Amino acid sequence: MLEKRRSQTATALILIAPFLIVYGLLFVYPTVKMIGMTFTDAPLIGSGEWVGLKNYYRLFSDRLFKVAFWNTLYFVLLTVVPSTILGLVIALGVNRLKGWWQSAVLAAFFLPYILPVSVVYRIWNWLLDSQFGLFQYPIAYFYGQNVPIFRTLPLFMPTVAWVTIWWLIGFNVLLFIAGLRNISSEIYEASELDGATRWQQFTRITWPLIWPITVLVATIQLILQLKIFDQIYLFSIGGRGDATLGMVQLIYRAAFQKNQGGYGATVALVLFAIIVIVSVLQYQLLRARGEK
Amino acid sequence: MASVELTGISKRFGAVEVIRSLDLNVADGSFCALLGPSGCGKSTLLRMIAGLEQVSEGNIQIGGTDVTFLPPAQRRVAMVFQSYALYPHLTVRGNICFSMSLAGMKKADQNERADKVAKLLQLEQLMDRRPAQLSGGQRQRVAIGRALVRDPEVFLFDEPLSNLDALLRVQMRLELAKLHLNLKTTMIYVTHDQVEAMTLADKIVVLDKGIISQAGTPLELYNAPANRFVASFIGSPAMNFLPASLISAEGKSLRLGLAGKSEITLQSKQAASAAASKPKEIGIRPEHVRLLDPDDKAAALKGVSSVIEQLGNTTYVYVDTEAGTMIVEGDPALSLSPGTNVGIGIDATRAHVFGAGGEVV
Amino acid sequence: MSAVALDQPVRAAVADPYNWNRIKRLDRVGLVITVLTVVVAIFWAFPIYWALVTSFKPEQDVVRPGIELWPERFTFEAYTFTLFQTKIGIWYLNSIVTSLAVTFLVITMSAAAGYAISQLEFPGRKLLWWMILASFMVPIPALIVNHFVLMSQFKLINTWLGVILPQLIAPVTVMIYKQFFDSVPKDFREAAVIDGATELQLLFRLYLPMNWGITTALSIIAFIGAWNAFLWPFLVTTSENMFNVTVGITQVTDAFGVKYARQLATAILAGLPVALLYLIFQRRVTQAIMLTAGIKG
Repeated sequence: MLEKRRSQTATALILIAPFLIVYGLLFVYPTVKMIGMTFTDAPLIGSGEWVGLKNYYRLFSDRLFKVAFWNTLYFVLLTVVPSTILGLVIALGVNRLKGWWQSAVLAAFFLPYILPVSVVYRIWNWLLDSQFGLFQYPIAYFYGQNVPIFRTLPLFMPTVAWVTIWWLIGFNVLLFIAGLRNISSEIYEASELDGATRWQQFTRITWPLIWPITVLVATIQLILQLKIFDQIYLFSIGGRGDATLGMVQLIYRAAFQKNQGGYGATVALVLFAIIVIVSVLQYQLLRARGEK
Repeated sequence: MASVELTGISKRFGAVEVIRSLDLNVADGSFCALLGPSGCGKSTLLRMIAGLEQVSEGNIQIGGTDVTFLPPAQRRVAMVFQSYALYPHLTVRGNICFSMSLAGMKKADQNERADKVAKLLQLEQLMDRRPAQLSGGQRQRVAIGRALVRDPEVFLFDEPLSNLDALLRVQMRLELAKLHLNLKTTMIYVTHDQVEAMTLADKIVVLDKGIISQAGTPLELYNAPANRFVASFIGSPAMNFLPASLISAEGKSLRLGLAGKSEITLQSKQAASAAASKPKEIGIRPEHVRLLDPDDKAAALKGVSSVIEQLGNTTYVYVDTEAGTMIVEGDPALSLSPGTNVGIGIDATRAHVFGAGGEVV
Repeated sequence: MSAVALDQPVRAAVADPYNWNRIKRLDRVGLVITVLTVVVAIFWAFPIYWALVTSFKPEQDVVRPGIELWPERFTFEAYTFTLFQTKIGIWYLNSIVTSLAVTFLVITMSAAAGYAISQLEFPGRKLLWWMILASFMVPIPALIVNHFVLMSQFKLINTWLGVILPQLIAPVTVMIYKQFFDSVPKDFREAAVIDGATELQLLFRLYLPMNWGITTALSIIAFIGAWNAFLWPFLVTTSENMFNVTVGITQVTDAFGVKYARQLATAILAGLPVALLYLIFQRRVTQAIMLTAGIKG
């Protein structure tokens, strides 16, 4: 018995060693290091002086941090809620279709999700191009002239949010469809015999049963969009970068462009904390449902 | 081929003792059934013989070798699982060859042995199929083939027929019996189905809460159960039990009072003074009671017939008596309607008397 | 009691003529919903179609006023230019090497660790499992600063390894493997143990082959994820020769000026491998995505 356990421990060690090394070196160590760095004025590369909580004080007086924080929240609001609702609506429509039609329609919604962000950027940058973009035809028709959307500040965030929804909706649709398929068709047949209307079927059966998936989708999107960088960065190339800054972008700017590693790490830690809090809330929310 | 000897085996899971210092000897070449209700420890016992569970105390010998601390693969045993556990990603051939392949045997040798087994079990046509493409009975045969190819000294079966439908179960039972006739290898067979145990085994071990309730040949267990548990577990329909109280005892002859003021006199199975063990119940199998006219003097009990099951070859009548509901086996051609007053005659020579602790008196 | 319950809905459905009318009307609503869904789907796929069509037009036609839904003059000029006049070949190589390496390493590490946590007894098993669960919520982008510091200490900036290493943190894959190994019935393990399998044989000859589908699904999604990675490759590569496709096509724009067809052709070439992977392995990809979201599909 003892011998068996010892040999199992040896095998286990061999099997988890690669994972442990990678995990320790690339996850635990950088995390600990990051926390340490927030108390120094270190540049990106090289060590710095201990400055205590100075970086944290700086956060409150930094105008860019405020901008980045509110931009991130604004972006989250513009993407998470619409993409969750739209995802459910599309999933309900797709779920009605059968066989070949369903896979084709699902693929149309899902294909953008598979594409790299830079391809998405190129596609929409072309569609909305201020000179030759296809969407400038309706814009010119209604507004009277072409609009350089990504150079027009009030339009920037909503448009990038829309592109993000276009890009990621397939994920939400997929999860909702999985949830809808789990609802047995017998429940609907029974409710039909009970005389339920289509709307009643949705509010009394589909919605309560799909609620857990809705929570899941919304929180996954929430955590994802808090980390927004790629799209905003790409669409703002050559534009007024400061006004459209997000949190991750601020990390990038502080650490990589201004060579202030300590301050960059501090912003990163704040983002880190926000996401951990959101994750814990999600866990609580899902657990509360499980207990009910 | 080998005998299996268990001495003083105990098994504890934490504080729960599932097997209590158990001794068992399975002779070389015999077919031994471990019978009992779920939770009696029969599967644990089998798994300890296989080496899948370590014993907490005691000693296991297979063919005279102490295997208590040997890993399963070195015990020269093969096991057929209830779920068959056929590797779903391998073909039938792959399943049969798996153990040889693990041991690094040459491909040609593997195939030769696999083909031999396939022929014996009529699996030749199925060798390239996957388990998902097989019927229940075919899967069963592959599972046996996989055990067979290892040329084991002891075969272990863990409820191998319980996943099959009734018809197939009877068929596979017959095939297993034939297999044992052909191979004459020691087989240990776990089941909760007394019919399987009775038909297949030459030795039945009835387990109850981790101890051996009784061990013997099928007929010994049927005709002379050692206690109420064995008596109730073996036989279908089950034995009738009637509350009884001792009126007087003369040597081995007992006079017992039944409900409804009737009396019965029968012989104790034990030499010792029967009165001391306080008889509490008598047990009588359905085929050892007769339906009589309610006024018949031979009728020990009176009652009213309720459900009547006509099986063609025999008829079972449920009779509500003052002593409780009894099952009576009657003539196949019996014509009786529910609600009829009947008398019941008991064959006193075939009745069993049980004491307060369930022991036979 | 039960007879009443059975009777009522039947009467409602059969005897009440209004109910039938309503069902018919509802079907018309259903038809509208279906048509609407298909129209929205076409709208959704249109940007990709438009990019494709544009990439096959000559540059003069691209900037010509008017909506040309099918190229009047069809040309591969944009593609031949991109393939032969830009560094996309090198970027492709970089993408393929790093993505394959990430896929292979993530899958082998996760399968091995998942198996150990699921099936083996060893001290610290619970602790390791909790650490993996906890790391699930740590945002990797928050670690970019220190990953960069670490990679520069190792002198891995502008190298394949530098791109690969930080992408190897994949607690989700370990979790999925553990889940699947957990759900393999114990009987298989025991049957193989009686057949004489060692722990490593159990993993490689039983647990992995039995879950081949999962490995395929996870590999595809790991590859797609690595191919699509933007932020980290963007930070760790600064030389044109080390860019991944995804980074390269956004960083080197001057070379094209405002040649829209060429820009779109490069974009399409960049997205082609993953789009093809998805179209070929649709079911596996969707399965893997649901798994990573915590839904067993």
